Amino acid sequence: MASSSPSEPQRPLSPNIQLYRPQLTSVLSILNRLTGILLSIAAIALVIWLLAAAAGPQAYAIVQAALASWTGQVILFGCTFAFFLHFFGGIRHLVWDTVHGFELRTIYMSGWAVVAASIVMTAVAWIASVYIGR
Amino acid sequence: MIIDSSKQVSRNHLFKRFPIPTNFGVTKESRVDRGKAWPVPAGATRTKSFEIYRYDPDSGRGPHVDTFELDLDDCGPMVLDALIWIKSKVDSTLTFRRSCREGVCGSCAMNMDGTNWLACTRFISEMESPARIYPLANMKIIKDLVPDQTHVFAQYAAIEPWLQSKTPTPERERRQSVEERSQIDGYYECILCFCCTSGCPSHWWNGNRFLGPAVLLQAWRWLTDSRDEAAEERLDKLEDPFRLYRCHTILNCTRTCPKGLNPGKAIAHIKKTMIERQS
Amino acid sequence: MERDDMRTPLARAIGLGSAKDGVHHWRMQRVSAIALVPLTVWFIAAIIAQTEAEYTAFVAWMRNPITDILMGLLLIALFYHAALGLQVVVEDYVHSGAKFAAVIAVRLACFTLGAAGILATLRIAAGS
Repeated sequence: MASSSPSEPQRPLSPNIQLYRPQLTSVLSILNRLTGILLSIAAIALVIWLLAAAAGPQAYAIVQAALASWTGQVILFGCTFAFFLHFFGGIRHLVWDTVHGFELRTIYMSGWAVVAASIVMTAVAWIASVYIGR
Repeated sequence: MIIDSSKQVSRNHLFKRFPIPTNFGVTKESRVDRGKAWPVPAGATRTKSFEIYRYDPDSGRGPHVDTFELDLDDCGPMVLDALIWIKSKVDSTLTFRRSCREGVCGSCAMNMDGTNWLACTRFISEMESPARIYPLANMKIIKDLVPDQTHVFAQYAAIEPWLQSKTPTPERERRQSVEERSQIDGYYECILCFCCTSGCPSHWWNGNRFLGPAVLLQAWRWLTDSRDEAAEERLDKLEDPFRLYRCHTILNCTRTCPKGLNPGKAIAHIKKTMIERQS
Repeated sequence: MERDDMRTPLARAIGLGSAKDGVHHWRMQRVSAIALVPLTVWFIAAIIAQTEAEYTAFVAWMRNPITDILMGLLLIALFYHAALGLQVVVEDYVHSGAKFAAVIAVRLACFTLGAAGILATLRIAAGS
């Protein structure tokens, strides 16, 4: 970035996110961030749920009804999947912090393992919930 | 699906770009428009289309993408050969950096089909149709495929990439065991092509303050060199929420290094050293 | 970068120098993450087990001292982890002066929500 005199045009910036190919590395990383943000919003819902329970059975019933509705269940399902993605992604990060698993092959295998584990655990959690609810 | 080495080209054909407009969020002067479609060479049987980013600061016009038809039978196997062919046979104003043509100097680093690599070690046969040749991502462009690397080299200078000693210079060599010397393996080989830094989203958003993978890899190279005596000062200078800790282990750097090096691992080493020196 | 910025490239790269601080945030993010691993596993398992539980059954479960402690620890670890993470997100994407206000707002919001959650847990536990 050499300083330019006012008469010279500003140099254009080459495309970055508009051009760069999405790869497992960047996609899983942004998913970890997006799920983190989503879970932070879900945490607000958790606090509302606890406050409703503290307020009494009527407030609690309203919150439970909202959760049991179609929209509520879809959102809850999404939040479960987001949770498991962030959970397993987070464990992958913790392993990296010990300076292990940085070879490209391991990066890709652990990445797909995170996706697979999240899908499996979301299914397990929801099947368990349906079974217990019976 | 599973990548064993960075020279493997991505085979995924569905998700080649993030689903955002071509000129999403760019400033007026950085907009990329459609350019000229150059004619097919006469008598060519096997041709391939190349879409190349062009920018001429003297033209008063903004960046645009020209389409060239390459005669594959008249041209060498690498993308750099294609660029040289186009420059000599079609449009002599096409501007790009090149030197060794064997993947050791780092001059021809550019973005091909969405990923950063050296043009001289990327096979034309591995490119998509049409092949998309753009300069290194997120760099100020001087002309065509030539980026302005002043800032990234200034960041490199900022980490003081030279041996710093406090003990007087020894009579003969500075001694280093075989095991100690092996500590810089995988880091000294960096050719400073900046493919990694240019592919790092954190450097895109915070490149003014985040040092980026290339510079941090070199920082680790000097930290782990047993002959260097300035580890304390080096670590102090790195311990900053932006200089080092904008790295969120996205790992685009390791994926794209044309020399097969591992900047992500080097940065993880630095972060671990930061913790180790505290307890 | 303004047009009348006449600093040398090295001066621009050095900026205001190193803050000589950053390990603490990184370490606490990892510590809270490690704490959250067992705590969230417990929480998910517990609320799955609580599917279809009536209010009285739910309150009885919440009155269990183990549940209270774990819920309290979960809220502390969760909102600390969220505050650290969201601070980094803001610092990454907000570059104007609004960044400082946004980071403070995020931290205060997480603290408030954490405190509210803990107090709600204690209220349920204390009983009424």
